[in-house]
Amino acid sequence: MMRDDPVRRLPMALSSLVALSLAVLPLPTAIDAFRPDFLVLVVFYWSIESPRAGGLALAFFAGLALDVIRGVVLGQHALALTLMAAWATHLRLRLRVFSLVSQSLTIFAFLTGYQFILFWVDGATGNPVTAFSRWLAPVIGALLWPLLTGLLSRLHDR
Amino acid sequence: MAAFRNADASGRTSGLLLRCVLYCLMALGLIITDKRYDHLGEMRRFLSVVAYPVQVAVASPFQGWDWFRESVSTRENLQADKEKLEAALRIANFKLQRYEALEAESQRLRGLRSNTAAVAAHFLIGDIMHLDLDAFRERVLVDKGARDGVFVGQAVLDSGGVFGQVARVEQLTSEVILISDPTHEIPVQVNRNGLRTIAVGTGDTHLLKLPYLSTSADVVAGDLLVTSGLGGGFPAGYPVGTVSAVKRDPAQSLADVDVRPAAALDRTREVMFVWLDGEPGDTVPVVAAAAPASTAATANHTPAASHPQAASHAQPAPPTPPAQHAKPQHQGSPP
Repeated sequence: MMRDDPVRRLPMALSSLVALSLAVLPLPTAIDAFRPDFLVLVVFYWSIESPRAGGLALAFFAGLALDVIRGVVLGQHALALTLMAAWATHLRLRLRVFSLVSQSLTIFAFLTGYQFILFWVDGATGNPVTAFSRWLAPVIGALLWPLLTGLLSRLHDR
Repeated sequence: MAAFRNADASGRTSGLLLRCVLYCLMALGLIITDKRYDHLGEMRRFLSVVAYPVQVAVASPFQGWDWFRESVSTRENLQADKEKLEAALRIANFKLQRYEALEAESQRLRGLRSNTAAVAAHFLIGDIMHLDLDAFRERVLVDKGARDGVFVGQAVLDSGGVFGQVARVEQLTSEVILISDPTHEIPVQVNRNGLRTIAVGTGDTHLLKLPYLSTSADVVAGDLLVTSGLGGGFPAGYPVGTVSAVKRDPAQSLADVDVRPAAALDRTREVMFVWLDGEPGDTVPVVAAAAPASTAATANHTPAASHPQAASHAQPAPPTPPAQHAKPQHQGSPP
């Protein structure tokens, strides 16, 4: 988990694709609001693990894919994801030596920032979503982080 | 931002700040172009074709399961279904017997007032794709798009009543915004007394609100709301919902009215796209140019008006000829 590997494109693309599918997988309405931002977590993981293999480009295009699939204003998720992935890349050396708990807390901060930028662009483009439950996704995402790193690092080491 | 410059401890992500700024400017540029100038239709359409395989891949297991369940259902089940459907068809036919006569009569009366209300002329059935677009917006993706002539703002119904309207059209799919979306409003009319108001979505698929009715408005629980056809987007007279509760607080000037939607917004799997009488663009001119057109309208209706009894029993041909059935096929999405 300590490498700055330049070529890790295949697992990166695969995991992003799976995460994108999870983002649109139909769930019952009752638990839909609890769905974590899978793709965002995956992008954070790769930003921290191997920023040279794609990093910001991955973040930008993953964001664009989310924009298209969710049908919101083009560039919204791209902006939020790029900014937060840049922040994660910036902090990656520290993040790698953090304990899982502190990592999760940092990821929570990233996810909240991501959600806040979405919230802001939503408001600025004239269709605000003020539902409180949108702030649940960062909590769930942060709780899911240890599981995801375990899973992805296995994929990574193969 | 200064913090980013200190980041290059390893020297490996030098230019992180530069790249970040570059991508952010690109994203901001996209947001502004998309929002302000609406020039990105082509690009969005292209990207959506790229995203289509993902959407299909996610949706297909669910469609496969539906297909599997349908194909293994037993003979008894099919028999029971058939009997149920036949019973429903009998009832529907009973109701339909008077329909043509009533429609002709209503057309005639409207013609006398030189008021041409939009009537649904042509339907296209679409399947809802099993995808969650956004947890906080009530939208669904339907497998009919610009290729099938679907256009933005088109009314969408299901078997129970009004479902929503088309918000975005791609080549193969279209996004339908439900009447329960918090940003959606639909002009309605109380069927009992013709009271007009606007029904607003709440974000809950089982609840609409009528926020613009005063406490003295004549509306009671159980009232049926139908589309009023005002605004031109929806055909008139289709059920939107029933009033489920009316709360009147004497301290407030407006009543708090809850409406249960007539359409099965969270359960339906097939929806109908509706083309109104004539093209979407020319319903408005017809109303606006009512005075010059009224000679034609009355010429059409005078014979019927002079023999109202005969006309209502004679089952006259619908005043709108079948030519319009061909029309919608040529409609693309508006530019």
